[in-house]
Amino acid sequence: MRALLTHRFTRRLARSVFVVWLAMSLVFVLTNLIGDPAIATLGPRAHASQIAEFRAAHGLDRPFHEQYLSYFGGMLRGDLGRSFRDDQPVMQVVLVRLPRTILLGALAMTFELILGLGIGIVAALRRNTLIDTLAMSLSFLGVSTPSFLIGLVLMQVFAFRLGWFPVGGYGVTPAEHVQHALLPAITLALVGAATYARILRGEMIDTLRADYVRTARSKGLSRSRVVLAHALRNAVLPIVTLVGLSMPLLVGGAIVTETVFGWPGIGRLAIEAIYSLDVPILLGVVLMSAITVQLGNLLADVVVSRIDRRVKNEDDLPSL
Amino acid sequence: MRSTRRTEARIGLVALIALAAGALALFFFLPPVPTSPTWLGAGADDAAPHHGGTFVFFHESDVHGFDPHTSYDEISGMGEKLLFEGLIDYDYDVQLVPRLARELPTVSEDGLVYTFRLREGARFHNGREIVAEDVRWSMEHLLAPATHSPGLAFYSLIDGFEEYQNGAAHLRGVEVLDRYTVRFRLSAPDQTFLNAMAMIFAYPVPHEMYDQEDPARHPIGSGAFVLESWEPGLRVTFRRNPDFFRPGEPYVDRMVYELNLQRGAAYMRFVRGDIDHIHRFTPSDRYQLTHQAGWADYRVDRPLMTIWGVGMNCEMEPFTDVHVRRAVAASIDRDRWQRARAGRLLLNGQPLPPSMPGYDATRPDQHHFDLDLARREMALAGHPVHQEGEHWVADGMETPVEMWVGEGETGQMFGELTQQDLANIGIEVRIRQVAFPIYLQETGHRRTVQLMLAGWSADYPDPSNFLDVLFSSSSIHETTSENRAFYHSDRVDQILARARIERDRDVRMGLYHDAVGMILEDAPWGFVFTDTKLEAWQPYVRGYRPHPVWDQMYRDVWLDLPRRRADLDLRPLSAFAAMSPFGGRP
Repeated sequence: MRALLTHRFTRRLARSVFVVWLAMSLVFVLTNLIGDPAIATLGPRAHASQIAEFRAAHGLDRPFHEQYLSYFGGMLRGDLGRSFRDDQPVMQVVLVRLPRTILLGALAMTFELILGLGIGIVAALRRNTLIDTLAMSLSFLGVSTPSFLIGLVLMQVFAFRLGWFPVGGYGVTPAEHVQHALLPAITLALVGAATYARILRGEMIDTLRADYVRTARSKGLSRSRVVLAHALRNAVLPIVTLVGLSMPLLVGGAIVTETVFGWPGIGRLAIEAIYSLDVPILLGVVLMSAITVQLGNLLADVVVSRIDRRVKNEDDLPSL
Repeated sequence: MRSTRRTEARIGLVALIALAAGALALFFFLPPVPTSPTWLGAGADDAAPHHGGTFVFFHESDVHGFDPHTSYDEISGMGEKLLFEGLIDYDYDVQLVPRLARELPTVSEDGLVYTFRLREGARFHNGREIVAEDVRWSMEHLLAPATHSPGLAFYSLIDGFEEYQNGAAHLRGVEVLDRYTVRFRLSAPDQTFLNAMAMIFAYPVPHEMYDQEDPARHPIGSGAFVLESWEPGLRVTFRRNPDFFRPGEPYVDRMVYELNLQRGAAYMRFVRGDIDHIHRFTPSDRYQLTHQAGWADYRVDRPLMTIWGVGMNCEMEPFTDVHVRRAVAASIDRDRWQRARAGRLLLNGQPLPPSMPGYDATRPDQHHFDLDLARREMALAGHPVHQEGEHWVADGMETPVEMWVGEGETGQMFGELTQQDLANIGIEVRIRQVAFPIYLQETGHRRTVQLMLAGWSADYPDPSNFLDVLFSSSSIHETTSENRAFYHSDRVDQILARARIERDRDVRMGLYHDAVGMILEDAPWGFVFTDTKLEAWQPYVRGYRPHPVWDQMYRDVWLDLPRRRADLDLRPLSAFAAMSPFGGRP
């Protein structure tokens, strides 16, 4: 059994590595097509000798395949190169920013699960009542409204006008980091929460009609036990899968949310790198994002298999 | 099925009602946005600056380093002006004044030799005295190919520059005469050399700074402030330099530079008093601030040293014909551009900005909107314009013409305005919007870009910085042209060359006046406008006024503390504001 699990894990890991390599290669090729980082970095007044020196220093004067092999060789040794723009080691720059985006993502995930599951359960239990209609209406609004607009409205109302939250930024102490993350995390969470609420409501309604739930009720189990231990356990499976699949959305959404709130994570870093054609930084961000997404998916799969013992075979798991 | 539809309709209706109710609640019950400053000063006398306090400023982007030799952008410059000092600098009247130099340098009769005498006792942040050898070493480091300095071109007339670029051990044109005296020898006279020496590139830097692993993050300057801490992507903190060469200065104990703060959020923080100076606005915030009387004494809207226009590649059809270029220049409806930008432009039909020496607001030949003239010029070019239905057609004109603009909504807007204007003379324009680095790269390539939204921002306040750079044929190169119109006029070249060495200021300005006339006549650009910039500061910030050369120069500010809160109009939910768990700035 252990050998089987190890084999499955290895296959899964290999597939993740392949996806990361593919993403990196695509970005590497595309960034080589769109412009000259030497001019972007040195500016319009750069002397021809400086441009030549810059290209030589960063290996940009070498054939494409050599650059490609050199970069991926370095990556395997843990060397992601140095930023074109400020000559900092890419790993160092990205690792400073990544925990901030992870903090934001983790808070957002927590909020969207609390909100989404809560609203979904209540709406299912109070089906076709005013509460259900209100809950679904709010989720309808959440799904339909772009996150940048939600962010701007929340910041204007709760931070600027009411002063309940800081206006953007990151703060100084760890407690302040969390305080500053609340509004952007809520912004990120609202769209996901709305989606989860709608899906969970439907799943719960179906599950509550199932024979095994009726049996549980007839055995005299309490309502809360029936709902939480029996109905929710099965209804939540699609949500867990969705959580895994929503990792790219959280990372992508963070680019918008971090920009609106001035949150200094990898989303902002990616935007800056794109504008300045800082290819090593951009590749570093893509690498870290891809790894984070893959880990998130893997984690979701593990959780699904833990909750639902029927998911034994790897082929039953959702594909990446 | 009907039941499901009814449920969905009900959900949609309730969602709309909820949205409307929420919007109404916000409108009626939220505290209003203050229309005047919320924090005021203590009322100190202007003549007696106070010491102490923390001044907070911001930028939308990140700082990449504080190395005067390589970091050449607005974001770095705001910090570098706190950290470093030059031998000479500009005062608020754009006059050169000595700083680390004891006086302005002496200049030889032939205009080739400049001798600087340093102030004795001035020190770097590491405590070491600044001596002439530091100036020499700094120049060599700046101009070394390995430094990759974007400032290289400004110093190319220093004697021995080419040899140094090609591997010579030292820069021949910079000599140390004694501990405090350094002499610069040029290979040809250049009236802009002192302008170049006032640029941040030429600020003396100790070699110890570059002995460190990451010098741009560990600057050692001689400026009014010392770097205290740097949280990447977040903020940089500077503290007062107690050994600054000007006794009693600076006044503020600490400067905090907030990074990556978007302009919308920055305005909110500014209004709340969390930021002390603001220089970037969303259009609506800008409108609010400029229309609120309470801020009238604490804001300035001024023209910058920039020019913008429609650049035409004189080596590519149809712009090889001067009549077509003149037609384009006359077809641009500048008032419409002004309306499109809500009055934020300073219309300017010539190649120098209004604050530049040599600018003449009254010259009759500057570019202006005249559609009849434009159509006559098209006819002279052999492309008579006539109307077909609602469209204007220029006979024999190969269309469309491709216009390159940089990223962003303003680039797109100016592209579309040009498109509409040129349609009136039968030129169809197709817009190509690209990232700014790509724009720079491609417009600098010969025979690549026909038409572009062209702009230039001054490096230093001298006409040559516009005319030589943008319109001299010496700025034409195969792949890295700064003369992006690829405009070549022997007459203009000769006048600019004379002006570059002319020592008599009046004669020199006369030469530039003539050159401007020729450029206007040849119309390599259709000149349209100069940017304006709105800045505002808190009432308790004193000693600040926009510097004519430097962006956001905060070195000399002081704070009228303790600041006090102004009386505010409170509405029902304002009471909730008191529930904020975040205390804000003391």
